[in-house]
Amino acid sequence: MNQNPTVFSSTVRIFDLSLGQMLWSRRSVFLGLLLGGPVVLALVLRIVTTLYASGISINGAQPPGATIFGMMVWLLYIRFIVPVLGVFYGTALIADEVDDKTITYLFTRPIPRSAVLLGKYLAYLVCTVLLVLPSVMLVFFLVVPTGGSSVAVAFPSLLADFAMLIVGLASYGAVFAVVGTRLKRPLVVGLVYAFGWEPAVLLFPGYLKRLTVAYYLQALVTHEMPQDSAVSMVLQLFHEVPTVPTSLLSLAAIIAVTLWSAGRAVEQREYVLEQ
Amino acid sequence: MSATAIVSADHLSKWYGQVIGLNDVSVTVPPGITGLLGPNGAGKSTFMKLITGQLKPSKGSIAVLGEPIWANPVLYHRIGFCPEQDAFYERMTGMEWVTALVRLNGVADATAASMAARAIETVELADAANKKIGAYSKGMRQRIKMAQALAHDPDLLILDEPLGGMDPIARRRTIRLIKDWGRAGKSVVVSSHILHEIESMTANILLINQGRILAEGNVHQIRDLIDEHPHTVHIKADDTRALAREFLADDDVLSLRLEEGAVVVQTGRPDAFYARLTDLAASGEHGAIHEVTSPDDNLQAVFQYLVKS
Repeated sequence: MNQNPTVFSSTVRIFDLSLGQMLWSRRSVFLGLLLGGPVVLALVLRIVTTLYASGISINGAQPPGATIFGMMVWLLYIRFIVPVLGVFYGTALIADEVDDKTITYLFTRPIPRSAVLLGKYLAYLVCTVLLVLPSVMLVFFLVVPTGGSSVAVAFPSLLADFAMLIVGLASYGAVFAVVGTRLKRPLVVGLVYAFGWEPAVLLFPGYLKRLTVAYYLQALVTHEMPQDSAVSMVLQLFHEVPTVPTSLLSLAAIIAVTLWSAGRAVEQREYVLEQ
Repeated sequence: MSATAIVSADHLSKWYGQVIGLNDVSVTVPPGITGLLGPNGAGKSTFMKLITGQLKPSKGSIAVLGEPIWANPVLYHRIGFCPEQDAFYERMTGMEWVTALVRLNGVADATAASMAARAIETVELADAANKKIGAYSKGMRQRIKMAQALAHDPDLLILDEPLGGMDPIARRRTIRLIKDWGRAGKSVVVSSHILHEIESMTANILLINQGRILAEGNVHQIRDLIDEHPHTVHIKADDTRALAREFLADDDVLSLRLEEGAVVVQTGRPDAFYARLTDLAASGEHGAIHEVTSPDDNLQAVFQYLVKS
């Protein structure tokens, strides 16, 4: 029995232990409510289009439901909700256990500390996927039928959106895991990164945007975005989107490097609990 | 470092920024039950965190069961740790929690459940095993912490203030459990700031204060240290003034004062003083001596002396 436990088996056991805790945490309840926002918005949209034949129009034309759904996925989920989930869960993977002073029970077991981080990261991923996917699915079925779109035709893109959201959650979670394990005030740093740095550098040409997760995620968007203003036309001039394989490889590298770095930090760091 | 030592610290220091937690400690903890005594802030928690691998030495080295403990998780197969903090996954039942932690030792699910059940039975918490920990009393929480520490049958049990919050009956049970553990050939390092608690578990103690080990060894050896310090003797007698005059002539009497019906003497050589006092009482030269007591006969006083020195 006294053998060095593998990172994999330890990770699975930490995952088992953490998933239930994470799913029923106050954080999940709060962020679950946040995820109700797009559903409410979709419901209002559906009611409006049902009650009024003209529905919602952009430049005088009623956009297809699939286009509106695509916009909602990009703007609400990928650019807002997924980073928020990443920040709030990712930075807290270890910090929650430290704050609750339960980390001692995990760090005095025969498992590598990095497995604690990895197990919690996997629990985060499953937990957030379980929170996000029902919300996205409800929005899909409420919005897509409006404006003449077909649910059956749009369904494959829903699966692609699911995959993109999972990749987004995995990427942001890993990035914010390293923020949470290496930096002070990780929540502030994470929010600044997600809602300050990323939107800012994406607007400008150059290489800085490659230091964002959103840059690679946008290559995975399958929906056509409406270009309905002068600003979006100008932005389109600078719009540079990597190929899907490049994006997937880059995001995989981001996840691997950040998780490795976070794991190293947890292995080396001393956690002094307040008495 | 001794080959049989449970814990060996060699010039071990730990500081937190400018604050020294432990200062150049070299100590060897033998097998069996060892009590770590010291007031709050003495360095006990730092020492416990170092021997459980939660902290890395700033200087020097520490070995537990013959191996370095920092970044050596495999060693935790042989160590059970009951931390001081009252922290749990409150929504889990005691059984779920202990089972989940035992599983982290690489034990299969079914085996983990039976090991957890046995440990919970050992701490006499079987009736509450399926209740949420959030509904446990303080004493029950202490006991479930003990259960998770001993469930995997470790060679070394490290207990940080394990009796805190327990009622007298639970304390007695826990003390009995710790002694049983020691009798079974296991080793225990138990910390407390209450001397009689430790004294009831073991004769082997480490005294710690201000980040230093002040004394180590058998309680009786520790008691002998009292001879190196002024020893207070409280004597109730018929003629306290006559006794005081008698004592003033002795070289080893450092000070004395009169209280109502008693004389209180500080002596630098208690053995010699007690011998003369016995002779005086037997002779009846200064009237009857009714009672001789010393606050320095208990460990608390020894500890206070050592801490002050």
